[in-house]
Amino acid sequence: MVTDYLINGPITKKVICCFLEKIDEKTNSGGHSVFLGQVRADEFNGKKVTAIEYSAYEGMVMVEADKIKATILSEFEDAKSIDFVHSTGIVKAGEISLFVLVSAGHRYQAIHACTKTVELIKEKLPVWKREIFDDDSHEWKQ
Amino acid sequence: MEVKVLFFGVLAEVTGTNFKNFRDVKSIGDLKLRIQDDFPEVVHYNYRISLNNEIINTDLKLKDGDEVALMPPFAGG
Repeated sequence: MVTDYLINGPITKKVICCFLEKIDEKTNSGGHSVFLGQVRADEFNGKKVTAIEYSAYEGMVMVEADKIKATILSEFEDAKSIDFVHSTGIVKAGEISLFVLVSAGHRYQAIHACTKTVELIKEKLPVWKREIFDDDSHEWKQ
Repeated sequence: MEVKVLFFGVLAEVTGTNFKNFRDVKSIGDLKLRIQDDFPEVVHYNYRISLNNEIINTDLKLKDGDEVALMPPFAGG
């Protein structure tokens, strides 16, 4: 699954570089803020997280992602553009599952708009995850 | 008439399916009862309902081709 907002598997350095290479074109921006969400190798009751499996409601992701962008652009007048992509499927510990890039005229709004974007993604995007442990058991996260 | 019901997250696991079509359901309330008849374990989980990609909080009428989703709390990031 590859859409404007979803990518199957981890978000690779190549994908991240593709986004970063385009900031040359954002000449109306003076600051860019990036957030990278990474899968942690947490430990619970002697079991270690080896990966997270993500699933998403693709149709609704498209709708909600557009709403998130519109909310940020209306709330932060200096914000110029918002890009983000979320993983689906298996992402191993240490790999990236969420990439967010917010560009603004100045650093303050870039940083704060990026933070708000991440919060809205976690609150509004119809994505689910289950942690997979080193004994092959799993647990759904909320 | 027929509506498509999608199950996500833990609900896909406990129902054993990603979707099921239901015939001749008049409303969301009616559909919830039908779902609970087929998948009684669903009542033990928290979830929200969307109708054609919009989260709803009221009992709406359904029409042929509607897509309903049962969505546990989101957990992206």
